[in-house]
Amino acid sequence: MTLVEPRWTIEQVAAVAPSPRSIATAEPLAIDSRWSGVGCDERALWGRCRGGGAEPYETAVDHVEVAWRCTCPSRKLPCKHAIALLLMWVRGLVAEAALPARVAMWIDARDRRPAASVTAAASAPGGSGCGDRTTAPTHGSSGENGSSGESEHPNDRGDLDRSRDDRVARMNEGLHELDRWLEDRIRTGLADPMLARYTTWDALAARLVDARAGALGNRVRRLAGLVGAGIDWHSEVLAELGILHLIAQAGRRLQQLPGPLADAVATASGWQVRQADVLLGVPDTDDWFVAGRSDAREDRIEVRRVWLRGNTSGRWAMLLSFAAYHQTLDESFVVGTVVRADVHRYPGGSLRSLVGRRYGDPLALLLPATATTVADACDAIGAAIAAEPWLERFPATVTAAPTISEGRWLLSDATGSLALLGDVRSLGTLAAASAAVPISVTVEWTPRGVIPLTLHLPDRSLDIGPRADPSFVGAA
Amino acid sequence: MTVTSLEGLWRELVTAALLGTDRREPPDLPAGGIGDLVDDTVRLDPASRMLATVGAVTAARRAAFIPLPAADPLQPPESDARLICPPSAAATWRTVVADWPVLEDEWVLGVIQRGFRLPPDVLVELLLRHRSDVVRRARVALAGGPLTAWLVGHVPELQAIGSRAADAALVASLPELAIPPELAELVDAEAHTFTTRIMSGFRAGGFGPAHRAVLVNLFARCRPAVLLDAADELTRFGYGQALACADLARLRDHMLTELRAAV
Repeated sequence: MTLVEPRWTIEQVAAVAPSPRSIATAEPLAIDSRWSGVGCDERALWGRCRGGGAEPYETAVDHVEVAWRCTCPSRKLPCKHAIALLLMWVRGLVAEAALPARVAMWIDARDRRPAASVTAAASAPGGSGCGDRTTAPTHGSSGENGSSGESEHPNDRGDLDRSRDDRVARMNEGLHELDRWLEDRIRTGLADPMLARYTTWDALAARLVDARAGALGNRVRRLAGLVGAGIDWHSEVLAELGILHLIAQAGRRLQQLPGPLADAVATASGWQVRQADVLLGVPDTDDWFVAGRSDAREDRIEVRRVWLRGNTSGRWAMLLSFAAYHQTLDESFVVGTVVRADVHRYPGGSLRSLVGRRYGDPLALLLPATATTVADACDAIGAAIAAEPWLERFPATVTAAPTISEGRWLLSDATGSLALLGDVRSLGTLAAASAAVPISVTVEWTPRGVIPLTLHLPDRSLDIGPRADPSFVGAA
Repeated sequence: MTVTSLEGLWRELVTAALLGTDRREPPDLPAGGIGDLVDDTVRLDPASRMLATVGAVTAARRAAFIPLPAADPLQPPESDARLICPPSAAATWRTVVADWPVLEDEWVLGVIQRGFRLPPDVLVELLLRHRSDVVRRARVALAGGPLTAWLVGHVPELQAIGSRAADAALVASLPELAIPPELAELVDAEAHTFTTRIMSGFRAGGFGPAHRAVLVNLFARCRPAVLLDAADELTRFGYGQALACADLARLRDHMLTELRAAV
């Protein structure tokens, strides 16, 4: 049996790109007409790209060990040609072919070197080249639910074990380094001017990505955005540092943790799980109500969370989709509809799921099965956080009225209030739909407050969740 | 000093973290709970002990998620007996503003004349779109009813820019659009005349890109009865600008029919 290395996802390509601009620069090159001799196999992809020089640039990417090589003069790693080649591969534009001798020699040379380190620039034929570098792609983004996509697929059990042991060692090293870095921040203080520099965080995030703890790398990048963002930023940054410390500590003790918790910690750290493996799990079959949608820009990709709630079980599930610049987000789940389907959860009892078989077309469902009080919603959210303190978002559907107290918007009922976050459109629409009367609303908890996502009106559901910038994502 | 409450401990931790443990001692932990947890980790240096404390306190604070006190509800707006216009009409409004905004005034007037009020999402969008247009804003206020003033009172970002009063006659009528004399006579024409004249203009190549704006204005103000016939003929003709006019004609017909049928 031939084991075919699964293709990356677009967010993995975005994760290895040196900057968001690199993707945009590579896009015009990611078309057939610019390339010749393009091919791929279970280890690598290759091609010749017509560029500004007299000769085409020879580009190759090792998509298993994650390395690239190009004869172009760019100093960026990976260069735009390697990114363009990856983009074409992700989009299914690169056909399988026999490995050319020049690429086979490069792969062979790489395999004979000591593993897992950044290597020196390659002596590419015909020029100095942008070199031969190794790094690790990261999948997914949300700390709460970690990563997705595909993992390595060595050809025998021994290779599999060695590969896994290597990854565990690299990740442990990364987590250890993260903890040391966190201690340094506590030692020097949050007033240290270096915290205001994005490079401080970006360098750490890059090292975590190299250590294959991509979800933590993304979390660190999100944390960078909190510095100086509000009057209470010291408290928010400190809390996030504490959560990172918890994950770093727990991640280094995975073998001592109970199974589901170990899975949850591994996922939060960035351990990758193949989608095919998730889809092999026992399905949760239900009529799934699409209760809410929330888009958020995370570094260089747009992330969409779709919150599903089982009409029978009452359980929540979350679908993640990603779009790099001018990519489209998944529009197949429309807020306010219900679809009977198999939902497969990621390990560790995660909310993050994949939808397998669907048993029919989506139907409109006007009112959600259960809306709770504010107090009950707080209980459910608190229980979820107690199980996984690193959760960043959690959904709830409550019946309450928006109100204003001490200049801030709250969602309130007789049992208590939740602080509301949102822009003028979402808060204005919530207020207008309610007109001071309790209504059913699905919200997304975050550590800073709840974001209204959906208003469940008698005749329709109104999707008021944060929406991706249309100038960034492409039209569906 | 030993702090006892979780919130008090957190404030002390933030203060210590601001300066760093090199310059400020972390707070002493109370016995039990967090204190025991951090002791169990047997961490000796202040920075690592404090980091462990920060992690534990953050987890405890987030998990102990309790609601804020119940707040007084807002005073409701005056009641409005009109029905909210149907969801399909709100969807049509989104198509209108995205594709043919020239029809927006007629849509809002249609809502008012048919005795509907605006859906909440459309009301907010319209208030944001027309913050400085006195006439259109007054029309939105009529279509939104008492909810409009109530909403603007609570959401200052929706307030109008400027405070001029609108002329009631302008609010109640469609704005005049520029239509040249040779086309103006078609505004009130019957379907046959209208379609024949328009099609002969297209067939003779008389409508170039420069005529686009006036053709749009004509289709936005012609008699509704001519729209579908004209749209069919224009579609059969198949020329780019003719197809655009056909699309506008069909959308206007749909918009007017939908509001009429919903009454």
